[in-house]
Amino acid sequence: MSSTTYTLPIGPLHVALEEPMYFDIQVEGETVRSVELAAGHVHRGMEALAMQRNYFQNVTLVERVCSLCSNSHPATYCMAVENLSGLIVPERAMYLRVIADEVKRIASHLFNVGIMAHLTGFDSLFMHAMEVREIMQDAKEGVYGNRMNLGQCIIGGCRRDIDDSTAPFLLGQLELLKPQLDELYGVFERDPLIRTRTQGIGLLSFEEAKRHAVVGPVARASGVAYDLRRKAPYAAYADLDFKVQTDTKGDVHSRALLRLREAVQSVKIVEQCLRQLPGGPINTREVPVIPPGEAVARSEAPRGEVFYYLRSDGTDTPQRLKWRVPTYMNWEALQVMLASCQVADIALIVNSIDPCISCTER
Amino acid sequence: MNEIAKKSIELAVSKVLGTGSLSWTSDVNGNCFGWVTLCAPESLLSIAPLLAECGARLMTATAYRNDKFGRMELDGHEIAYHFDLEGVVVTVSVCLPDTPPRVPSITPWFKNADWNEREFAELYGIVLEGHPNPRRLFLDKGLDAAILNRLVPLSTMMNGASTTTLWEKVYAGKQLPEWAKGGSN
Repeated sequence: MSSTTYTLPIGPLHVALEEPMYFDIQVEGETVRSVELAAGHVHRGMEALAMQRNYFQNVTLVERVCSLCSNSHPATYCMAVENLSGLIVPERAMYLRVIADEVKRIASHLFNVGIMAHLTGFDSLFMHAMEVREIMQDAKEGVYGNRMNLGQCIIGGCRRDIDDSTAPFLLGQLELLKPQLDELYGVFERDPLIRTRTQGIGLLSFEEAKRHAVVGPVARASGVAYDLRRKAPYAAYADLDFKVQTDTKGDVHSRALLRLREAVQSVKIVEQCLRQLPGGPINTREVPVIPPGEAVARSEAPRGEVFYYLRSDGTDTPQRLKWRVPTYMNWEALQVMLASCQVADIALIVNSIDPCISCTER
Repeated sequence: MNEIAKKSIELAVSKVLGTGSLSWTSDVNGNCFGWVTLCAPESLLSIAPLLAECGARLMTATAYRNDKFGRMELDGHEIAYHFDLEGVVVTVSVCLPDTPPRVPSITPWFKNADWNEREFAELYGIVLEGHPNPRRLFLDKGLDAAILNRLVPLSTMMNGASTTTLWEKVYAGKQLPEWAKGGSN
């Protein structure tokens, strides 16, 4: 450290979201010169727990890895178990899983852009974004009976059907949401305050995005057109029409707009699912035998690729269950994004990767 | 697209291990999963640059014990490195025969291996060779090293994480029984 720099401790609490991560930042004047991350404040030892619970108990456990991606985890875990046991999930359940995933994606993205508005000091926009998100929260409560953990995925399919009463309700909520989402996009795109505070900061080039192996909206806003729903389709995504959103600017503003565009696509996906929903059972009603072996499954959570590796030794508890969340790599890329930024922009840049600390540390 | 990616992976693996060392499985959607086993940790140093060259991305690495709680004779660790190339997944499993287990770092080719390697090193006591920054990642230095190498019963885990607050409320105004005072685990 030279005499012109000093250390600025940021965190561990309330950097952007109310989750703990500690940043040891070297500052020269108002400019960030280097960043050290210290993680581990909310390590819960969940992978150790997963090895002591049976395959069915783990569905409940992994739903609690993350609140905002809480459907992606059990869905991907169940896919890994199904891959290993050779269980074929009924087609209707595939669609129901997509609906749950996309409803969660809309709510998650709205939450993130809302927090961004809050961090720019535009609190009325923050409250408006959260109010729009409330439409999806009500949809979740009405259809699944819960506003965060839907409890929808089980091994072999889904727990709850969407029937003649809940389908029109969900469609009605989407109708309410659509004009609001368009309006919100316009504000985030054009508002001078939002643009001044978020354009051109937190830059991540295509090369750096590749080098750090980032995923999700962070990668796509830097021109890496990687979306698992298209690259390695799962559930019913191969039958659905939607556009993978990308951008090349790779700044905080483009990541927020990309999330809003993805939310618009998600509305389209849910509508298609409800239109095309095939008949038949919603789960296999069968307890599969989990043979010894290993399996992998992936899905595109709101923040990017969620990866599950399952290894079985033939008993009723996994020999090893490992999962990796999108924020895991995106954290390290922050060292690039925060390089030479202003101290006042740190929280905005950290928020732009949509950080999820408790699920990174598990 | 999948076929081109599969070919590149096959070529990279066959340069190190010869043909026939890679097996494929697929899921109901036709997504492909490749599986390779390396018997010597040093082989990683030959295969990692080739995978990096064909554009593979490291997704994560999973370390595990052959016998998860070390209660039986089966001993030894393995690490499964999971790569992605354009939607095709390949898992390279490496056996670690040494005691203590050691493995070379693949951070020169995969920058994001940094955190993954530090994580399995702290959980299983695996020694990293050539890692730029081999300190602990998540776990506080006050916690035991290689914690996942042994069985910590769920009851112990839960007791360690709970306080006596609940029982103090239940027994409010009465004598708190000895067993509810905790501190013995």
